[in-house]
Amino acid sequence: MSFPILTSILLCPVLGLLAVLLTPARMEGLVKAISLATAAVSLILSIFLCMAFDASNPGFQMVEFVDWMPSYGVHYSMAVDGLNVTMILLTSIVIFCGILVSWGLKFRVKDFFANMLFLVAGVFGVFMTTNLFFFFLFYEIAVIPMYLLIVIWGSTNKEYAAMKLTLYLLFGSAFIFAGFLYMYSLPGAHTFDLVALKENVAFAPDVQNWLFLALFIGFGVLAACFPFHVWSPEGHVAAPTAASMLHAGVLMKLGAFGILRVGVYLLPDGARFWAPLIAGLALCNIVYGAFVATQQKDLKFIIGFSSVSHMGIVLLGIATMTDVGFNGALFQMFSHGLMTALFFACVGWIYDGCHTRMLDELGGLSKKAPRISAFFIIAGLCGLGLPGMGSFVAELLVTIAAVSRFPAVGVISIVALLITAYYVLTAIQKAFYGPPSPHTEHLHDIGFFQFIPRAILVGVLVFFGVFPQVFIGFVSASTKALVGA
Amino acid sequence: MLTLLLPEILLAITITALLCRMLSRQSETEPRLFMAVAACLLVAGAVVSVFFGPATLFYASYRVDLLSQGFKVILAASLLFTVLASRDQFSIQANRLPEYYFFLLTGTLGMMMMTSAADLLTLYVSLELSSYSLYLLTALRDERRTTEASVKYVIIGAAVSGIMLWGLSLMAGVSGTFLLAGMAQNAPALLAEPAFAAGLALTLFAVLFKLSAFPVHAWAPDAYEAASTPVTAFLATASKAAAVAVMIRLLMLTGLTPGLTAAFGALAVASMTLGNAAALVQRDVKRLLAYSSVAQAGYLLVGLAAVSGEGFSSAFFYALAYAVMNAGAFTVVLAVARASANDNPKLSDFDGLAERSPLLGLLLLVSLLSLAGIPPLAGFTGKWILFSAAMDKGRWLLVLWAVLNSVVSLFYYLTLVKHAYLEKPKTLAPVGASPRVRVLAIGLCVAIVLLGLFPNFFVTFAQQAVVSAATPW
Repeated sequence: MSFPILTSILLCPVLGLLAVLLTPARMEGLVKAISLATAAVSLILSIFLCMAFDASNPGFQMVEFVDWMPSYGVHYSMAVDGLNVTMILLTSIVIFCGILVSWGLKFRVKDFFANMLFLVAGVFGVFMTTNLFFFFLFYEIAVIPMYLLIVIWGSTNKEYAAMKLTLYLLFGSAFIFAGFLYMYSLPGAHTFDLVALKENVAFAPDVQNWLFLALFIGFGVLAACFPFHVWSPEGHVAAPTAASMLHAGVLMKLGAFGILRVGVYLLPDGARFWAPLIAGLALCNIVYGAFVATQQKDLKFIIGFSSVSHMGIVLLGIATMTDVGFNGALFQMFSHGLMTALFFACVGWIYDGCHTRMLDELGGLSKKAPRISAFFIIAGLCGLGLPGMGSFVAELLVTIAAVSRFPAVGVISIVALLITAYYVLTAIQKAFYGPPSPHTEHLHDIGFFQFIPRAILVGVLVFFGVFPQVFIGFVSASTKALVGA
Repeated sequence: MLTLLLPEILLAITITALLCRMLSRQSETEPRLFMAVAACLLVAGAVVSVFFGPATLFYASYRVDLLSQGFKVILAASLLFTVLASRDQFSIQANRLPEYYFFLLTGTLGMMMMTSAADLLTLYVSLELSSYSLYLLTALRDERRTTEASVKYVIIGAAVSGIMLWGLSLMAGVSGTFLLAGMAQNAPALLAEPAFAAGLALTLFAVLFKLSAFPVHAWAPDAYEAASTPVTAFLATASKAAAVAVMIRLLMLTGLTPGLTAAFGALAVASMTLGNAAALVQRDVKRLLAYSSVAQAGYLLVGLAAVSGEGFSSAFFYALAYAVMNAGAFTVVLAVARASANDNPKLSDFDGLAERSPLLGLLLLVSLLSLAGIPPLAGFTGKWILFSAAMDKGRWLLVLWAVLNSVVSLFYYLTLVKHAYLEKPKTLAPVGASPRVRVLAIGLCVAIVLLGLFPNFFVTFAQQAVVSAATPW
């Protein structure tokens, strides 16, 4: 048997978690070092994974398969294909940068890093597994530590936001739970294996429609699909910096990923049936999110609502049910993940220095702290879809696909991009230019060490923005197969 | 014969020895070491007895198979846990402790006999033996309010046992036999008789009482609140497991009519909804856990009502998971009760627990999340297979309702977690955790995680147990 690279990537945070739990709480440096080391190993392994990945093969590769609870069709099965290979890379980049960004943390360090590693283990697991039992298991593992991260280390109305986030997400996952068990109970099924379900079970048309709707409600909540998005801006705002990075950067992508991996893969007819509805909701996300963002005064709320808007683009790409749309959706998931991580990494630093995130109270940051301001502005430019950044290509692909499938929706979503440009530029202008505000007095610029994580994020964003073909090459074989399914 | 009845024989010897000890002069001291050794031996004996059987003893009135012996291991382990936890209890006067241990043992004996009971009279006698022990255990605490709650418990219990007798007499009268095996032979024909179905319903009603399911759940909050914490833990672990065993045995042999199946579904819905709704507003943690047990009884009914092999084996697995996670929760409750010198700790007594004792904070987190059905913990895997059994029967609406209920339950579990992890402690005095409690806490944490992540051994065992109990006698 070849080297189990997927399990190794997953085991990195798990072993890191165990090591952190066994470390005495006062040895904070060791806790941080362990976390960083495990994140670094999983990042290196993820890069190897991308290099070893055979992009011409549309099916599952590097399959690892172990019987777990065979009488219930539960197997520990991990595999990689075009859909998840880039997501695994994204996750390891964001956690690596997230740990670096939270290096200065002083309050309950051990608990914090334990929760972060636990959360990341869940995210890796969801992306890798091809068994619905483990999919759900990891899916909820990714949700629960978020509660603790927000409620202990958060700010601004954290208890309310944390409870709201958890209950919303678990309300959604109840539908996923019931949906998965329903698939299991269908004639010929009695397995939770994704591939076996695809091969053995003939989903009747109305079963497809209802099941897909249930799964869409479940995953849609996590993907912040309108009207289930209300937990997300508040959650982002309340979460501590690194948790926001992971949450907006990776966790929300799990929802969209679940729709593709389970919903579209197993129930393509159901997906086509509901596609117009999804497109409509996605448009609400794009337009509504952008409009609300223009009215926000808090920098984190602006980013929170811009995430809602950008996730709309992902959903719109999925709703087109074409390979171009899927490519665009995946590309948007990837670049939005990096971009919001960068946003939150910058806002977190600014908040720690100024103790405010209100636009009215900020001003002239670019003079006071040019480096952190530059990073924020780069993220902002990426957010408004500047060519040369990943988001530009992603949005282009989605819009091309959308205009051909849903012309009206496509055109309106292009117009909505103008609103994005408006609120991003306004925020940049208010916070970073103009006369320096008294609140910025104690703000220091980032040093070299804190420069690294943000530079990594920008580097990857620009790399895939300039060479989009690399990304498309990774995903296109699998998305073609998914459309044909 | 000796090996088949090993746990019961060991218990009987222990009970006799304890009785002799009480009659002698040592009666004033607490038999700590004696009880710990006896409970350990009992666990070992129960494990050994798993390898023997299946057999039917005493003119087919007593059945020894994997189902009964598996449950006896759970019961013995629960007793061991209760005995270990009892060293920290402080609300029962020292001179009553010999009686306290005596009734713990008789209660366990009754429950063990329940799991093996194969005729109606044995079932009734063993059920009453365990019930009366529990009534007395509840009343042992030295407070006025306790007396009131235990009187309530006895009165409702007596009424239910009357109802059960009526049900048993109907079943015996219609079928012409007391033996469950005899009824199993022509179960379909018997179930068609309204009188038999009514008798079965009344009998099951009494088991629901032990399970603290709707509509006979009202005793649970009062009894949980009134009893000394180790007794509450015993009620929540051993007594529940024994009730599940009886439920599996009865349903497996007789089956259910369509009407009774529907009624079971309705009771499951009512239990879950009512238990969770009431738990939301509790301030007393023991009452909160009592209402949560009402909701948990509802989840169990969802699986049991499937009346299928998967339903029974997953109920078995869930009973095991339930015992372990409740043991975890009550370990923390007891430690907090001691630290606040109040055997009815409020939510606010948990403030800052994670700072005062990180290990107990973690144990509380793990057990409560497991009760809420969060992966990768025992309660999650248990619910997954429990609900998949119900889904197999096409009852998706029931399953969806059950899962949504788990989400609601998360609200109050997380509230308790929030007190432990977020609120500032009133005192910084560490919550006393002796080495014994620490080992227990680590063991329970590991067990909850392992049961959730690597369930296959126990799931397979539960399936074999159901097969072993279903083979003709």
